[in-house]
Amino acid sequence: MTLDTAEIPRRRLPLPPMKLIRPVVSLGVLFGLWEIAARTGAISAFLFPPPSAIFAALWISAGPNGDPPYGILLDIALSLYRLLAGVGLALVLGTIIGLAIGLTGWGRAVFKPIISALMPIPTLAWTPVLLLVFGIDNRTTITVVFIAASFEIIYNVVTGIEMMTRKVYWVAASMGASRLQTLRYVVLPGILPYLITGLKLGVGYAWRALIAAEMLAASSHGLGFMIYDAQEYMDMKSIYGGILTISVMGLLIERGVIGALEKRTIEKWGVNVER
Amino acid sequence: MSNVEKILSDPVGETATLAPKPKITAEGAGIRFGSIVAVEDFTTVIREREFVSIIGPSGCGKSTLLYAIAGFLKTTSGVLKVDGKPIVKPGPDRGIVFQEFVLFPWRTVLRNITLGPEIAGLPRAEAEERARKWIRLTGLGGFENAYPATLSGGMKQRVAIARALTCEPDILLLDEPFGALDVQTKNYVMKDLQDLWIAASKTILMVTHSVQEATLMADRVLILGARPSRIVADVRIDLPHPRDPLDQRLGRYRQEVTEILSAEVDRAMKGERGQ
Repeated sequence: MTLDTAEIPRRRLPLPPMKLIRPVVSLGVLFGLWEIAARTGAISAFLFPPPSAIFAALWISAGPNGDPPYGILLDIALSLYRLLAGVGLALVLGTIIGLAIGLTGWGRAVFKPIISALMPIPTLAWTPVLLLVFGIDNRTTITVVFIAASFEIIYNVVTGIEMMTRKVYWVAASMGASRLQTLRYVVLPGILPYLITGLKLGVGYAWRALIAAEMLAASSHGLGFMIYDAQEYMDMKSIYGGILTISVMGLLIERGVIGALEKRTIEKWGVNVER
Repeated sequence: MSNVEKILSDPVGETATLAPKPKITAEGAGIRFGSIVAVEDFTTVIREREFVSIIGPSGCGKSTLLYAIAGFLKTTSGVLKVDGKPIVKPGPDRGIVFQEFVLFPWRTVLRNITLGPEIAGLPRAEAEERARKWIRLTGLGGFENAYPATLSGGMKQRVAIARALTCEPDILLLDEPFGALDVQTKNYVMKDLQDLWIAASKTILMVTHSVQEATLMADRVLILGARPSRIVADVRIDLPHPRDPLDQRLGRYRQEVTEILSAEVDRAMKGERGQ
C-alpha cells in the first residue's frame, strides 16, 4: 500500500546527498581515465595533458609566479566585469522595453517588429560592426553581452505581463491605485519570477557569447582572450585550464547567483513560472 | 433599533424617514459587448447596509453587472450610481472579493491586507494597525507572515475578504465568493461573513448561483433571467440575522427562489435549443 509506506518517517543517513555524490563520481571517473590514458601514452600528452598537470598549471597561474602574475584571476575578474556590465545594462533596458511592449500599444508597435527582426541574428555576427565602431575595447565585449542577454529578458518580461489576469489590475484599481502605483505594487513584483527566468537564460547566452567575443575583440585578459592567446604559444595546459574555469564560473553564476535569487523569490512565494 | 432591523421592518422601503438612504441605484443599466447583450434594463435600488444577493442561470451576466458597479466595466446604456453619483471608475469605496481570491503571491498575508492602506499613503505602522482588526475578525491570527501559496482555499478567501475590508469600503462586492471552496470550508466562511456583515455594517452585494447561499445571507434576492438579463423577481427574505439554515421559513424562501430560477433556466435551455 503506497499510502502506508508514505507515512513511515524516512531516516536520513548522515551522508552527503546523492545529488552531490553522483556528479563527483561521474566527473572523477572521467578525469581519472583521462589521467591514466595521458600518463600511459594511450593519448597524446601534448594535445591532452593529464588533468593533474592542468590543475597544477592553473594553480601556478593563480599565484605570484604566474605569467603574468595572478593571470587567471585577472582573466576571471575582467570577464566577470564585462558580463556584469552587459547584463546590468540588459536588465535595465530589457525590462523597460519589455514593459513598453507588454503594457503599451505604441511600445508593441515600435519594438515588437524590431525585436522579431533582430532575434534570429547570432550575437557574434555583430562583432565586426562593433569592432569598427568601438575598436578592440571593453565596450565591444560589453555590447555583445548586452545583446546576448537582452532578448530573453525582454521576451520573459512580456510573457510575465501577458500571464497576469485583468483581475489583478482590478484589485489594485479598487484600492485606488494610480498607474504608477499599479506598476510598482502589481506589475513589477508580478513579473519578477519571469524576469529571473529571463535573466537566467540571458546570462547563460551572454556568458557563452562573451567568451567567444573575447577571442575576437579583447585587447588583454578575459578568459576567452586567455585561451586564444595560449593557442599562439601552443600552451595546451592553459587552454584546458581556461576551459575548465569557464565551465566552473558559468555554473557558479547560473546555479549560485541566479539560484539564490530564485530561492529568495519564486521558491519562497511558491510561484511557478509557466513558459 | 439597529439598522438591520430598520430595513427588515420596512420591507418596501417606502417609509422615507425610516428607510436608509439609497446606496446603489441602477436605472435601466445595460452592458453589451459588441453584438452580445450581457445585461439589459437593470433597474433597482440597494439601500445602505442592505445585503443583496444576485442570482441567476450561469452566463446570465450577473458577474458583469457586479464588475460594472465596481467600475471595471462601463455600462453601454442607462446609469449606475453610488450615493447618487454615476460610477465612472473603480475606487476604494467599493471593495471586491473574487471567487479566485486574486491574492498577490509575493506578499505575505499581512502585506496583502495592508496594500490598500499603503496605496492610500498611510504609514506602514498605521496600515498594519488597521489590518490587525480584520485579521482578528476573519480568524487569520497567526498566519500574518505566511505566503498565500501555503494557505488553503478557505484561508485565501479570508485574506481576500480582510484585504477588501481593510480599505474600509462602504460597499463590499462579492463575486461568487464561495465558488472555489469545499462544502465544509464554505459553511465556515459563510458564517463568518454573516458575523462580519453585522460587525462592519457595510452594504453588501453578492453574486452567486447558489439558492442556499443567497437565501441564508441576503435581505433581498434579485433573480436575473436568462441572457439578456433583467430582474425577473425581487424576493425579500424577511427573517432576522443570523439565520439558522434549518429554519422552516427559510426553507420556504429557498423553495420560492428555486421555483422562479428553475423556470428561468428552462426558458434559457429552450432558447439555446432554438425552440
